[in-house]
Amino acid sequence: MLKGKLKLDVTNLDNFEYDMSKCIKCKGCTWVDHIYMPGVTFSTRCPSATRYLFDSYGAYGKMRIGTAMLEGRMEYSDELLKILYACTLCGACDVGCKRNLDLEIELTLEALRIKAVKDGKGPMPQHKKVALKIAEKHNRLGSPHANRNKWLPSDVKPAEKADVLYFVGCSAAYTSPEIAQATAKILKASGTPFMLMPDEWCCGNILYSVGMVDEARELAKRNIEEVRKTGAKTLLLSCAEGYRMWKVDYPKLLNISTDELGFNVVHLVEFVDELIKKGSLKLKKKVDLRLTYHDSCSLTRLSEPWTPWEGERGEWGMVNPRLERRRGTNGVYQQPRDILQAIPGVELVEMIRMKENAFCCGAGRGTREAFPDFASWAAKERLQEVKTIGAKAIVSTCPFCKDNFAQAASKDGEKVKVLDISEIILAAI
Amino acid sequence: MAISKEAYKALEAIVGKEYISSNPAVCEGYRAGPGGYESGLGYERVMTKIPGCVIMPRTTEEVQKIVKVCNRYKVPYVPYSTGWYGPRSHCHVDNELLVDLKRMDDFEIDDKHLYATVGPGVIYSQLQEEAMSRGMYIIVGGGGSQCSAIANMIGDGWSPLSYRIGLPHRRILGTELVLPDGELVLMGSLATEEDSFWGEGPGPDLRGLLRGFTGLRGCLGIVTKMAIKLLPFQPEKLVPTGISPFTALELPVKRVKWINFTMPSKDAMRQAMFEMAKAEIGGGVTKVPIFWRAIAKASCKEDFWDIWSQESEETISGFHLLRVLLIAFTCEEQMEYEEKILNEIITELGGEARRTRPSDESWFKNADSAGMWLMCGGYVSVDYVIETIEHAIPHGENYAALKKKGYTPPLMPDYGDPGWFQSFELGHQGYSEFLVYWDPDVNTDGVDHFYLETSKENIRKRFYTSLLGPHQPLYLTGPAYGPNYHIWLLKVKDEFDPQFLCHPPVPLAHDEFVEKAEWMRPMKDWESPKNLHS
Repeated sequence: MLKGKLKLDVTNLDNFEYDMSKCIKCKGCTWVDHIYMPGVTFSTRCPSATRYLFDSYGAYGKMRIGTAMLEGRMEYSDELLKILYACTLCGACDVGCKRNLDLEIELTLEALRIKAVKDGKGPMPQHKKVALKIAEKHNRLGSPHANRNKWLPSDVKPAEKADVLYFVGCSAAYTSPEIAQATAKILKASGTPFMLMPDEWCCGNILYSVGMVDEARELAKRNIEEVRKTGAKTLLLSCAEGYRMWKVDYPKLLNISTDELGFNVVHLVEFVDELIKKGSLKLKKKVDLRLTYHDSCSLTRLSEPWTPWEGERGEWGMVNPRLERRRGTNGVYQQPRDILQAIPGVELVEMIRMKENAFCCGAGRGTREAFPDFASWAAKERLQEVKTIGAKAIVSTCPFCKDNFAQAASKDGEKVKVLDISEIILAAI
Repeated sequence: MAISKEAYKALEAIVGKEYISSNPAVCEGYRAGPGGYESGLGYERVMTKIPGCVIMPRTTEEVQKIVKVCNRYKVPYVPYSTGWYGPRSHCHVDNELLVDLKRMDDFEIDDKHLYATVGPGVIYSQLQEEAMSRGMYIIVGGGGSQCSAIANMIGDGWSPLSYRIGLPHRRILGTELVLPDGELVLMGSLATEEDSFWGEGPGPDLRGLLRGFTGLRGCLGIVTKMAIKLLPFQPEKLVPTGISPFTALELPVKRVKWINFTMPSKDAMRQAMFEMAKAEIGGGVTKVPIFWRAIAKASCKEDFWDIWSQESEETISGFHLLRVLLIAFTCEEQMEYEEKILNEIITELGGEARRTRPSDESWFKNADSAGMWLMCGGYVSVDYVIETIEHAIPHGENYAALKKKGYTPPLMPDYGDPGWFQSFELGHQGYSEFLVYWDPDVNTDGVDHFYLETSKENIRKRFYTSLLGPHQPLYLTGPAYGPNYHIWLLKVKDEFDPQFLCHPPVPLAHDEFVEKAEWMRPMKDWESPKNLHS
């Protein structure tokens, strides 16, 4: 609705009619912030608009399509579903829009997918397969549930009870065990006792991302309850996608604030940064590497905590009560940089597009499952940037990023090393 | 399929399957829509359509072929570079082809001869960064850094930095234009050799075809390549700082500096502009709309209204803020010299310097025009005029009085602020722009009326205007500013586009709007042919 009562509730597209109708096509969602514009190359931050070019693939097109859907002027088609789903929901558009206009673009894009599912048209067939795997095996890969803790190294023994609970996530548990292992060893090296969930299940990131809110909500309820039962004070993740899911999307799904979860959600880099700054962890070993850091979307521009909001929109489009907009300003940008710079021998070279202007790796939010070519293209775009700045390695904070970069690099015979930050930290201990 | 199968097939053969679509979801993305410059007003609702088909050429040759196919199959078409310029840059008729030029983003820079050659897909902030990284600069037009440099150069192309550089038409060098029938015109030195270094001739200066004074909004062909003059800048870097939305360029203050002055009166502001020009100092001098200060201070829309609601006619009428930009192009001593002279001028006129942030958020690279929609959701500049400073000031005052008389609301209150005026070309020209804001989710007929009424006010009060044919009824403005301006313009259009296929019905679109919108008809008190297109 344009005026009157509304709620930041993604399950009803009506809540975003104002936002969709006020897009001015400045394309701030697509371009890098003009203050940081690097020139004619690497000048965009929206993978979807950059790859598919037609305006409909940019947020400006999707806002118009959303309005048409709301007004019943748009029939579902394969092309429409591609427009809705060949998008990394990386939040670049959201921070771009909130540079000037404060429209709720990210929430609108989520609401569009939820509507597609409700209308029986979404998600994409590949997503339905993933959903089935999660329902049957509690992980998005369809691997045996019994193997979930197979990654555990023999020299690390989680505590029965501890303040810190490490939520490993499907990727690190099954396909990128080196991340889980490095994380566990870092915790051990820092003298931090940690426990695992007695029976860890998928966080449901993909379910939520593709619009399957009912299934995602059930998982959220179950997982939160399981953590609460353990009495953990801190839930630690080494996966940016999972971090966002726990910190932002669980509260969003349950209409509570992040604070109301009852435990803190932290990413490994926040935890390690604090340990280093307190002097509890020393990074002494030399790691001779000229590397660059890739800002994972879910750790940065998408990671600000969630607070439910309900109110009214009135004259001039003002809302009451005052809404604290999530603009991505307070994402986790500096901590991983401080960590990397604290490692002897590491030469950190910044990417041309960095922090809130970073170009998504292309893997997250259900993209890689349904549009692997697009995901691969996005990763290659980013690797091109790595080469341009002369870095020998790319470091990220999410197994989705790492895996996608690694596959793209190996396909093209690229010599760029692809690492997770946990591996570099461990190497420096 | 919205255009004929034969035409579609012929077009597809030019660009390939990947770059053409008539899918409704793809076409919907090209709707002007209720948001944006002038959008949500009657003109957008009455005059715009979604395209029947979208095509994305890569080369000039492809554009020529597309245009020829359009002529063969009588398919109306509109060129589209970024889609920024509101409803007037979108489709106006059914089954129209939208030629999206974003793939034409070739870029070359000649730093020896100081010019860049760009395609329509290149935007200002890209061009500015490329120029600045080589010690040069351009003006990022007030339309914003997101504008296609070509589109803005042939339409507007000015900002406070026009104080030294001057107007854009002289910075347009060698240019390629595909005429409405597909013929290619090479302008300036491009006509005789493969070098775009010069803009004029041979023969008549055809740049008038591109823009006249403020452009024809794509109804006389498609510019596919343009060389743009760059100018030498000072050597220090303007450093990007901050995380969105708090990003800005940190200025090297010994070389570049904004200083805000409070002046005792409007006359003192005007006098300061003249005195600065006489002393040949400054990189820009401008009186901006006062509510921009509130925008700069506000953290969100609601905050803006908290701040702005504190103002009144009394506070606004006694507040005169002059913003001066100093650029030491040659050496740091230039800054010292200019600042000294400037302070003498301001002191003599009774002004006082205010604390000013050593940063630029607005004019060098960003041109924050997108922020204009924050407060109300609806915005348009109803007029922008380049004449003299003496003309600019009463022009704004008249508009402010007109606005107050019967148009606030629906327009946002600005407590009598006469808008924006500034000095161009070292005081030889003066600029006036009047910006209006409204809530698009209430009845906006009054905004449509105000837009047209300003045109009549210009005629009544003998003010010049830049917004002729493509923005106002041609049969209203043509006889008044001509007396045969409209006839001349339509003859040019007929000559180059005899089938009227290139962005119809521009330049008669506003005439047609007044005929079609019943709430506009009572305002029609001028003569026009029964059939506008006869």
